[in-house]
Amino acid sequence: MLFPVRCFTCGAPIGHLWEEFKRRVEAGEDPGKVLDDLGVKRYCCRRMFLSHVEIAYELLNFPKVS
Amino acid sequence: MYLEIRILEKSSNRVKLYLKDIPLHVLNSIRRTMIADVPTMAIDTVVFTVNSTIFYDEYIAHRLGLIPLTSEAALEKYKPPEECREASERGLFTEDCFVKLDLEGENPPSSNSIITLYSGDLRTSDPDVKPVYDKIPIAILSPGQMISFEAYARLGRGREHAKWSPVSVAAHKFIADISIDNEKCRAPDCTDCINVCPRNILIIDNDRVKVSSDRIFDCSLCKVCEEACKYRAIKINWRKDEYILLVETTGALSPKRVLLEAIKVLESKLDSLVESLKMEGITK
Repeated sequence: MLFPVRCFTCGAPIGHLWEEFKRRVEAGEDPGKVLDDLGVKRYCCRRMFLSHVEIAYELLNFPKVS
Repeated sequence: MYLEIRILEKSSNRVKLYLKDIPLHVLNSIRRTMIADVPTMAIDTVVFTVNSTIFYDEYIAHRLGLIPLTSEAALEKYKPPEECREASERGLFTEDCFVKLDLEGENPPSSNSIITLYSGDLRTSDPDVKPVYDKIPIAILSPGQMISFEAYARLGRGREHAKWSPVSVAAHKFIADISIDNEKCRAPDCTDCINVCPRNILIIDNDRVKVSSDRIFDCSLCKVCEEACKYRAIKINWRKDEYILLVETTGALSPKRVLLEAIKVLESKLDSLVESLKMEGITK
């Protein structure tokens, strides 16, 4: 769904970094370098970014029945 | 007796301390108190009035709970977690326990873009308690969707739910004591230990293997160098009663406050133990 508010493993807040990460990676920057720049050091937090799929935006295409 | 304390690293949400002459069990008690017993503010109850987004109420409530809230001033202002927990269970959202945060968001049916609601959009009843980060997405709305809720935040402790823990990392580690036997060592012909070290602790200086003095705190005591040395010239041990304490907060409290608050909590627990012993007549 949406990008998690915190890292699943260590609990560090990461939700506020997602949009900048996404913007910069889409602009062609290296994801690893962007994460270093954002101060995401541990690999538990880094995989949260690298493995995230934004399914919520796909779901918006379907009308809600209720 | 005073401890020797040095600050190795310091930033707004992270501190690395060097401590000497502190017993491990004392340091560990402080560390565990920081994780489980230092109170912070977090959203605990959410009342939805409208939610026509694609997210379930409980999904949004869970996200809201995880948002760190500034708690520096709240620790004095609001009642302790134990009292507020009861009030929360009975649905009494009194002002001495709870901060109300509400949010109303709508994407008009005529629009043709997606709206994202952020933690910064939450309206708080107490300016001292607000989201630490303004850019955490709470929900996304497509045209025609609406959301409206009231969320109640209260003090709580990490032992009840991890969202109340003020730290994301609280760890201590040993400091390595590396001894190199220069009679057995064949440097500079053999540099196996330097090559295998994952943290680059060892250097070659004047044709001898030496420990880099500014890197010694990074040694993870993995002992790969010991195994790599064919001549058994290097020995890794740890220094007694010298530790490194690393604290990384979620932003709710400063690292300094977390440490001081943890000591306060631990102190009051020991005091209550002494009190109970007196009551039982075991001590005077």
